[in-house]
Amino acid sequence: MDLETIYDKIYRYVYFRVNDRMMAEDITQEAFFRYLGKYGDSGSMDIRYMYAIARNLCIDEYRRIKPESLSEEMEEIPGDSGISEEKMAVREALEKLPYEDRELLLLRYVNEEPAGTICKALGISRFALYRRLKAAEERLRAELEA
Amino acid sequence: MKLSVDRITKQYKNKIAVDRISFELTEGVTGLLGANGAGKTTLMRMMSGILTPTGGEITADGIPVNTENYRALLGYLPQDFGYYPEFSAREFLEYMGALKGIEKKKAREKSSELLELVGLSDVARKKIKTYSGGMKQRVGIAQALLNDPAILILDEPTAGLDPKERVRFRTLIEELGKKSIVLLSTHIVSDIEHIADRIIMMKDGNLIWQGNRGDVSGDLEEFYLKKYE
Amino acid sequence: MDKNEFKNLIKDAYYAPEPEKKKEFISRFRPRKVSTFRMLLQQIPYIRPYVWILAAAIVGIAIAGSVTGGEGTDKLVALIMPFTAAVGILENGRSRRYNMSELEMATRFSLRSVVIARMTIMGFLSVILTAIVSPVIAESFGMQAVITAETVLMPYLMTMIISLHIERSPLGRENGASSIVAAGAVMLLFLLIWESESGNVLYSSFISGGCGVAAVIILGALTLTEQWLTVRNVEAFA
Repeated sequence: MDLETIYDKIYRYVYFRVNDRMMAEDITQEAFFRYLGKYGDSGSMDIRYMYAIARNLCIDEYRRIKPESLSEEMEEIPGDSGISEEKMAVREALEKLPYEDRELLLLRYVNEEPAGTICKALGISRFALYRRLKAAEERLRAELEA
Repeated sequence: MKLSVDRITKQYKNKIAVDRISFELTEGVTGLLGANGAGKTTLMRMMSGILTPTGGEITADGIPVNTENYRALLGYLPQDFGYYPEFSAREFLEYMGALKGIEKKKAREKSSELLELVGLSDVARKKIKTYSGGMKQRVGIAQALLNDPAILILDEPTAGLDPKERVRFRTLIEELGKKSIVLLSTHIVSDIEHIADRIIMMKDGNLIWQGNRGDVSGDLEEFYLKKYE
Repeated sequence: MDKNEFKNLIKDAYYAPEPEKKKEFISRFRPRKVSTFRMLLQQIPYIRPYVWILAAAIVGIAIAGSVTGGEGTDKLVALIMPFTAAVGILENGRSRRYNMSELEMATRFSLRSVVIARMTIMGFLSVILTAIVSPVIAESFGMQAVITAETVLMPYLMTMIISLHIERSPLGRENGASSIVAAGAVMLLFLLIWESESGNVLYSSFISGGCGVAAVIILGALTLTEQWLTVRNVEAFA
């Protein structure tokens, strides 16, 4: 996987958690450095480790900053980004889901990570992954039908 | 980023210049205080990867100090430096840019930017040998910033600067400290009084005190002198 | 709705603003590998002009001598070669002389690479010089190109060895011009050998046997050793 793709994926993941572009980029870049320090510079980077490092950095960031200033809600999309009604509906439905569901759906559908990667990133077993993913999808469908 | 100095030692045949010093730095400005001969320059040389320690380890986010990757993150201003006599400030910066592996066009842009920043734009094409001490020092500061370093190590950077240049320099450092790790050494307390977030004090190769600026109530100078006893 | 539609809807629903510093960060993080060759090319413009002038002068003398049939052109060129060596070593020593070493050491490529690059350029230059000059002279005077090359190279290599060695010593550190002095000494030595009857005879027999080749090889090996020691010494800080 080339560096740009890794940057995009990690950035999106971190942004999802911290909701601030600048902070998300800072953490993404920091993750690259930590990776280098831990695993060296062999040419190809393993995104599973990157996710793990990014995750920990986000947790550290939460601890550093006052909890109120970080919202776990999804960011407001700027007014006229031309999003269809259908998409708005999906967004609203997503917002009603618990945080863990949203994280999972991001990794699976936005970053399109294979199961193995997600398991390593979140530290869960494949069984747990399939179970949670299924539940998340069902919850989403339920919201949408409502 | 975490710059970790772990039990760093430099021993020469007949003296120990730096004796098992440990500390950790993150983004922000750290002032390294100590008299001449306290070992500051030796420590900074080891942190810049140009002097091999006798013992201990230095890493930035785990990246060891003796690697090209580490040096790519680094901007260093030595206490004493010269210049090739045929160079103008601009040529000097472009030469250093080449050594830092910066692509020619980018080096040119960055040089212009930095010359502007340190106030040398209008004399950029003149040879450095025509510069005053303060101007030379400013060229040195500019070259340290060429590669947008995440780690900035400055050894007595205010030497030779006049009061106006000093103020300008302090503002610059404060700004840089927001995004980078800045370590600057001095034996003049007032240099770092207002801009250092963290202070490290050295004497005879030993670390005699380290802490946050906020931990020092009252006059930094007095505190330093007392610790020095 | 089907699975694909579902997937795409979710995908679009997650909004994140474009990252702004991606390209810049990546180009700094994984900087393009600058090949050794490119690094050499980079250093060439920083070699002082008088080096190229001296090289051109040597070629000029070789050609002029050959064209006018001046006897002893090969020895004349050989006597100037030590100064080519000295000049090359002076170029090497610029960092220390102008107190730039510390700055250069802390860069990505570091001083060691700079010195190696300079040495390589000067080395190439000398090889090219020899390769041009020797056949030119040999052709005109009906000598063997190899023998001419040996004559031209020996003073050069001797100067290299002596100068590199002195430069590393305390004596050399004090005196910037020690390589020039060494060049002068070598030049004088060969001048004395070639000016004297017996010296000249000895030299001729020495060189026409296999001894000349052996001498050049040994001197060449010693030169490389001295160069390696010099490079290794570069990063050793007091």
